[in-house]
Amino acid sequence: MKNEILTLRNIGISAHIDSGKTTLTERILFYTQRIHAIHDVKGKDGVGATMDSMELEKERGITIASAATFCEWKNHEINIIDTPGHVDFTIEVERSLRVLDGAVLVLCSVGGVQSQSITVDQQMKRYKVPCIAFINKCDRNGANPFRVIEQLRDKLGHNPVALQIPIGLEAKLEGVADLITMKAIYFDGDNGEILRIEEIPDHLLPQAKEKREEMIDKASLFSDELTEAILEEKEISPGLLLNALRNGCLLRALTPVLMGSAYKNKGVQPLLDAVNNLLPCPADVKNEALDMDNSETPVILCADPTKPIVALAFKLEDGQYGQLTYIRVYQGKLTKGSTVVNIRTGKKIKIGRLVRMHASQMEDIETISAGYIGAIFGVDCASGDTFVSPEINYSMTSMHVPEPVISLAIIPEDNKSQINMSKALNRFTKEDPTFRSYVNDETGDTIIEGMGELHLEVYVERMHREYNAKVTTGQPRVAYRETITKMAEFNYTHKKQTGGSGQYGRIAGYIEPCFEEEFIFENKITGASIPTQYIPACEKGFRLCMAKGPKLEYPITGVKITITDGASHSVDSSDMAFQAAARGAFLEGYNKANPVIHEPIMKVAVETPTEFQGSVMGSLNQRRGIIEGSQEDGPMSVIEAQVPLSEMFGYSTVIRSLTQGKAQFTMEFSTYRQVPKQIAEELIKQKSQAGEKGKQTKK
Amino acid sequence: MQQTNHITDNPLKWLGYATDNILPNGGFGAVLARAGVGKTSLLVQIALNSMLRNQAVLHISLDDPVKKINLWYKEIFQLLTKDFRMDQERQLWETILPFRFILTMKVDGFSMLRLEERVRDLVEQDIFSPRMIIIDGLPFDGSAKDTLLELKPFINHLGAHAWLTVKTHRHEEPGPDGFPIQVSDIKDLFDTIIELHPEGESIYIRNLKGGSGPTNTERLILDPSTMLIQKKQG
Repeated sequence: MKNEILTLRNIGISAHIDSGKTTLTERILFYTQRIHAIHDVKGKDGVGATMDSMELEKERGITIASAATFCEWKNHEINIIDTPGHVDFTIEVERSLRVLDGAVLVLCSVGGVQSQSITVDQQMKRYKVPCIAFINKCDRNGANPFRVIEQLRDKLGHNPVALQIPIGLEAKLEGVADLITMKAIYFDGDNGEILRIEEIPDHLLPQAKEKREEMIDKASLFSDELTEAILEEKEISPGLLLNALRNGCLLRALTPVLMGSAYKNKGVQPLLDAVNNLLPCPADVKNEALDMDNSETPVILCADPTKPIVALAFKLEDGQYGQLTYIRVYQGKLTKGSTVVNIRTGKKIKIGRLVRMHASQMEDIETISAGYIGAIFGVDCASGDTFVSPEINYSMTSMHVPEPVISLAIIPEDNKSQINMSKALNRFTKEDPTFRSYVNDETGDTIIEGMGELHLEVYVERMHREYNAKVTTGQPRVAYRETITKMAEFNYTHKKQTGGSGQYGRIAGYIEPCFEEEFIFENKITGASIPTQYIPACEKGFRLCMAKGPKLEYPITGVKITITDGASHSVDSSDMAFQAAARGAFLEGYNKANPVIHEPIMKVAVETPTEFQGSVMGSLNQRRGIIEGSQEDGPMSVIEAQVPLSEMFGYSTVIRSLTQGKAQFTMEFSTYRQVPKQIAEELIKQKSQAGEKGKQTKK
Repeated sequence: MQQTNHITDNPLKWLGYATDNILPNGGFGAVLARAGVGKTSLLVQIALNSMLRNQAVLHISLDDPVKKINLWYKEIFQLLTKDFRMDQERQLWETILPFRFILTMKVDGFSMLRLEERVRDLVEQDIFSPRMIIIDGLPFDGSAKDTLLELKPFINHLGAHAWLTVKTHRHEEPGPDGFPIQVSDIKDLFDTIIELHPEGESIYIRNLKGGSGPTNTERLILDPSTMLIQKKQG
């Protein structure tokens, strides 16, 4: 590892599923001599492309989890983080986008900018990731890179600038003409590894000159030096041009476009040159952490190896040698043997083995410096954890983890699956803090909880693929909650004398809504009407009631209990008696306090071509959604709405058919809101019907 | 909810207007000020006032994204309801939220044709029927008159009225009639023209046209700390 930050690139390769990004990655690894043979994505030769290390990915030819790998090209070190193209794997996507500094947006020269390219682009926009575009598959029938460049402008709102033109197209694709050097590049040898540089063929020269003029014109906006050179009619050197293009690219104001066919081994080496020349190094990017000692105030990190360490664990993998944790060091230098603190757990960790990953192979290294990506072995941590030097208390992510809003019962099909399912759940819950699991005491079912329908579906699929755990799933259930809306008093006496020692306890007080916390218990008893030793039993009794509401048996939240009076008996009172009294008192007060059901409301953002805006809004409206607004940006519109989660099941299918598959949506938890009366009644009815059914089955 | 009474009265009525709506159906109102003085803030208060009276407001912004506009509403609503209990404030916000729709477009993407298409989508599907339309950020250059002439019958047809923000500039001389140059030629199209005028530490709300006219005795200000409309004390 060189530790030269200016020649380091952390890049992602982002694209629509079938645009060939895994093939491109494979070729990059081949030309940079990280691998010595090329395999197909779909695994015709039974080996599969190097980056798709997960079985499911190999089978489907898609990339779900982001593997990180590195290579070297012309004195530059390049870490490649293979990002998933699906919007649904939010945590995965967000983490991988966070650790990369630049990206290559791969587009298909036939399919052009497709809906998923739009999603991927939106994600990059959100994280302000500078990118270059690679128009792949120029060897296919119907290839038209210039149409794709237009789409980049019209559909994605980029300011694309072609750095090349193709020499031949479709089956006649021979190479590319570089507009910076004005030379033709051909790719010879069995795998296109030998570059033959020649003059641009005469018939292409007028087009090349015209496109070069366009490129210089656009680049001149980002360099005074270049503008001067143009005005003074001086010769424009490649260095001057590249510098201007880089300035524009880093500002995300310009998208340099390259082209070729990864499958036919054409155009990959110039793309690597562009990664070196145009994408940012870690020092070009501003990274922030949150100072936990200073109420999460953002602090800017400095890619300086002499400063205290700040590193982020962005991916976990269960390898044959134990847990492998991918990390990016943002500040300082992580050395073998050094001690760091995991901010989430507060635990000190001694770094044992540091490795650099190349998909599923690894090599041992001594240090990981600021800006670099590597992996540590045998450290028990979760994805998203921050490791820092003991003297600082910074976190790369907010400590806030949203509560799951949906649950699903999973039942293993056999004993072996049961064991494998436990292993899988143990791994997944560590990887993703928004994914949880528990065993329902009553039914004995294993319940998984998460942030959306697709979120859970992906984990069920992974359980099957990666852990061979065959499970059947129940119906998804929305995590409703119960709460009260007004203050009510209680005065309950628990009295039982059925032989043996009796039970006696009286508790009086009031129950009221509370917005600051889930549950507050306050003791305002004076004169020891309930002896002090029984107060904890009272609190426990009330607290236990919170787990299951009387209306729908969902957890109760936002309740404050104040006890003001009570009575005890010198012989018959006990902890148990007061716990029972608290339960009775709770029910008495709760039923008088106008209880209601709350449901999770999701913040939904649908990104759609403007012509479908009306039908998308209609579909959200039908789902009890409140549309907050619609934002038009060129040919695309983003509709923002708040929609109850219970109404969003199956929405991805609905939106696909409404918009010819051109719209995408993201969904995240927003708040809990009271369920309308009519729907609440329906839920209670369903609950009682289910209860009846349960009783009959037992009989 | 009793406590809402004091916020459902439109404070602009103090400038001599008879009804809370200030404007008649199909009517236009303009709020003029230099950049950053408080045009959006004033209109958000008028909008919230409408929403509290269950009248739907369509807020069209040609400058800011939905998120930012939403923040304006939330902040001003919180200031208006600062004396409410937290649960009451939340409940009221959730009650009035369906009465607001934010539509943002880029200035160069704005056209009457586009606006009509969008609003029709909303009305015909029974998603939203605006009674008040705010257009924030429309450039008042040579083309504004044509836009307003097209907007008028459309608004009238909807049974709504419209408020527009007009950005003025410090260095510009007023028109021959004393009105800021941006509205001087088109003042007849407006029923009400209000100007925000910073003077010392206060921002005065002046009636240039409509209500009791420029001679009204009430002095309204935008409180510089909260940007809420208030009567000038003393």
